Amino acid sequence: MMWLFKDPVLAAACTGTWLPFLAMLVILIFTRRNQRLSAGISIASIVTSLICAIYLFTKLFHAGVPVQYEVAWAMTPDLYVPFGYLLDPHSLLMLLIVATIACLVQIYSVGYMAGDPGFSRYYAFQSLFAWAMLTMVIAPGMLQLYIFWELVGLASYLLIGYYYEKYSASQAGKKAFVVTRLGDIGFFLGLIFLMLGYGDLGILNINQAAAGHQIPGPLVTISALLIFCGVIGKSAQFPLLTWLPDAMEGPTPVSALLHSATMVAAGVYMMSRIFPFFAASPDAMAVALAIGTVTMLLASTMAMATYDLKQVWAYSTVSQLGFMVMGLGAGGYFAGVFHLTTHAGFKALLFLCSGMFIHEFHTNDMRVIGQSGGRNLKVPMISMTIGALALSGLFPFSGFFSKEAIMGVLAQHTNKVWLFAGLLGALMTAYYSFRLIFFVALPRKLATVPAEDHGHGHGADHGDEHHGNAYWAMAWPVMFLASVTCVLGFFQAPLEQFLTGGHAAAAAHGAGQEGAGHGMGHYVLLAGAIGCALAGLAWAWVEFGRKRAPQEGFLKKFPLAEILFARRWYLDDFYRKALDTLVYGGLTSLFTRNDRRVIDGAIDGICKLTVGTGRMTSFMQSGMLQYNLLVMVAGIGLVLLFFFI
Amino acid sequence: MNSLSTYLILAAMLFCLGLLGVLQRRNLIGMLIAIELMLGGASINFMAFNRFLAPEPAVGQIITLFVMGIAAAEAAIGLSIILALFRQMRSINVERAQRLSG
Amino acid sequence: MSAWFGIEGVAHLAFWVVVGITLGGAGLAVFPRNILHNVVGLILALSGVAGIYLFLGSMFIALMQLLIYVGAICIAIIFAIMLSRPLHLEVPVRRLPKVVGGVGAALVFFLGLLGVIVKTCWQAAPERGTDWSIKTIGDLLLTRYDLAFEVISLVLLVAIIGAIVTAGFSRRLSS
Repeated sequence: MMWLFKDPVLAAACTGTWLPFLAMLVILIFTRRNQRLSAGISIASIVTSLICAIYLFTKLFHAGVPVQYEVAWAMTPDLYVPFGYLLDPHSLLMLLIVATIACLVQIYSVGYMAGDPGFSRYYAFQSLFAWAMLTMVIAPGMLQLYIFWELVGLASYLLIGYYYEKYSASQAGKKAFVVTRLGDIGFFLGLIFLMLGYGDLGILNINQAAAGHQIPGPLVTISALLIFCGVIGKSAQFPLLTWLPDAMEGPTPVSALLHSATMVAAGVYMMSRIFPFFAASPDAMAVALAIGTVTMLLASTMAMATYDLKQVWAYSTVSQLGFMVMGLGAGGYFAGVFHLTTHAGFKALLFLCSGMFIHEFHTNDMRVIGQSGGRNLKVPMISMTIGALALSGLFPFSGFFSKEAIMGVLAQHTNKVWLFAGLLGALMTAYYSFRLIFFVALPRKLATVPAEDHGHGHGADHGDEHHGNAYWAMAWPVMFLASVTCVLGFFQAPLEQFLTGGHAAAAAHGAGQEGAGHGMGHYVLLAGAIGCALAGLAWAWVEFGRKRAPQEGFLKKFPLAEILFARRWYLDDFYRKALDTLVYGGLTSLFTRNDRRVIDGAIDGICKLTVGTGRMTSFMQSGMLQYNLLVMVAGIGLVLLFFFI
Repeated sequence: MNSLSTYLILAAMLFCLGLLGVLQRRNLIGMLIAIELMLGGASINFMAFNRFLAPEPAVGQIITLFVMGIAAAEAAIGLSIILALFRQMRSINVERAQRLSG
Repeated sequence: MSAWFGIEGVAHLAFWVVVGITLGGAGLAVFPRNILHNVVGLILALSGVAGIYLFLGSMFIALMQLLIYVGAICIAIIFAIMLSRPLHLEVPVRRLPKVVGGVGAALVFFLGLLGVIVKTCWQAAPERGTDWSIKTIGDLLLTRYDLAFEVISLVLLVAIIGAIVTAGFSRRLSS
């Protein structure tokens, strides 16, 4: 163990990543009965991880050179598969994000999950997730990343299906697991291609080789596209995006941690991790850009049609992830990563606020929450407004800066379609965010509100005044995140310096918008983006906010469109149909028939053949000793004659 | 009388007569007798090689002694089996002993 | 043809007589259907084999042959015949295919053996000892062939116990 103390960086990395794993084991094996102790162990471990992450971040902030500890798992000399820790600016930043949000969410969960019978199990899974995610973040090789990527998926499955006695929750867990697995197949195939074609899975090596054109172009394109399949699955991009809204069946803190801030961002993180590799293939980048755009727009429209608080944020998460992928696909490394960072903050904030409402009013319907007096909960109300402003990309909140960065990248693209798509997305984002805010904050008595039993009558009892420890356990993380959201944007420049390094001035120009050459165009863009966001806000105000506003939304006038959006563009129905006709109706029945007729028939045939042959030849087993002997002797005699005569 | 082949052919004839007996006698005791004949043929072979070819004349004789020992053991076991079989089936006809018939 | 006269001639004659006794005894042991004739044939054949051993130069083995085979095994067989009384039981009918098959197989085997005997070029060992004494046999049995000697003793012991057990158990079962 002495080597640990000789290198505090390594010690911190080891402790930070493995402590949650130990916590999980201890909770699952020893302390399941004692709920408070379990929560304490889990939170202590994640706080330690956070301290380690902060230590690493500050210690290596000015290091400049990536610190790498790795063990080569070399099966052959042609193959290099490293395991260990890679501490470069990007992973350090992500480590810090994950540890911070995981820590806040676990503290929040003390309040949110209080009294739940599966409390210990919840914390065990949270620790499992923390271990997997932290280790994935600082993986030096793609294989380690992949392994922990899958473990993160496992944690996601377990936590979505946390209320396993609820049918929809267990179904959603299975759906999330299977759908993301679909993308992971592509990811793994991509890794195999890369391994066969290049033989090195070290992230830094891949990036250098791809940037230096040492990997053949077609190989880069194929494996980048396949690896992008993993991003599509994990980050809920276009064809596979429907699992994320369903994943909201899990507890709200889980949604905040896994399904908005960190785990779903793992796809984007992975893509940015090997960004030079992706950048070496223009085709893959174009595909990423297109898929990101489609995802962003689709998810935004879906968010406009739902009344479920968490669903809105889920769609918005999908949409923002699409936005990040757009930014990366357009070549803006820093823009994508920066938006990932700010999004992690404000989306976790939004979810945690929603969780406070849901915990208070026991419903997910924004109309019911609004009518029950949702605005009386001051802390989540104000925080959620801050989060929504950040999400819409309004100054001075963090989302403004990162969205501007991505817009800047899109504006540099020769094809302006992407930029307009981005602006449209910003408009819709502002619209649906403030639609929700106005629903909650400025309720009307609406005849159309479904009368849910526990929706009414709660609001009056629960003022701001009498809240217990549970409330404040939830409120503190929310307030912390809200303040972070307010100030994070102003750290853009140092972060950019940190991430791209001093040398990458050109890249910084490409990514940021403060490049000298942009000048006027930049301000036009800035104005356009803010204008779009404000327009969306105003639109929402007209329809939902102002007095005597109909609170119906323009979609009510287009029932077809509303149904289309509410049914998620019939993606689920399409999958169901495809599964039913193609898989169950076609393939499965073929396989069944094959199994019944061909395989069973063959085996039956073999059995019958054996039995028949036995029947036919059993007369030889006459029990006549002398006949057996006779045949044997004749045989030996013939052999003698054959060989010696 | 002093050629190896004479003895070998004699031994082969003895062996094959025994073989014939084993193959077509149905009396179990008759089969046992035939087996003794076969063993005798094999022993003659050993003795003949010992006489005409072997470097040490004692070795062949020792082997023949061992064959006799084996023959004695075989006769004891065989006869006891025959007696047991006779008690079981009231017959020593080998063609009756076909419970393993398929 | 001078070999047919004098001492040589007597020895020759004696040899062929012994061969005749052996083969005739063997035929008598195999072909007749009366089991007592078979035993007599076996005694003749084994005595003939003992004579052959004499011609092959080993008095000791010839005596042992008479002692063990004729004196012990044949007597045991006669005991078994008397215990099982096969004479009073039915005489099975010979079946032609079986006889033909047996004769055919034995003939094939005999031809094979004959081929091997004729075709093989037998070569004597370059240095051949002349020590035929019983003393050497005894020495070798207790030195070089010690293990084999012990093992054969064990086999005999097991055979005796096995014979007793087999016969005894079946008696208990049948009664």
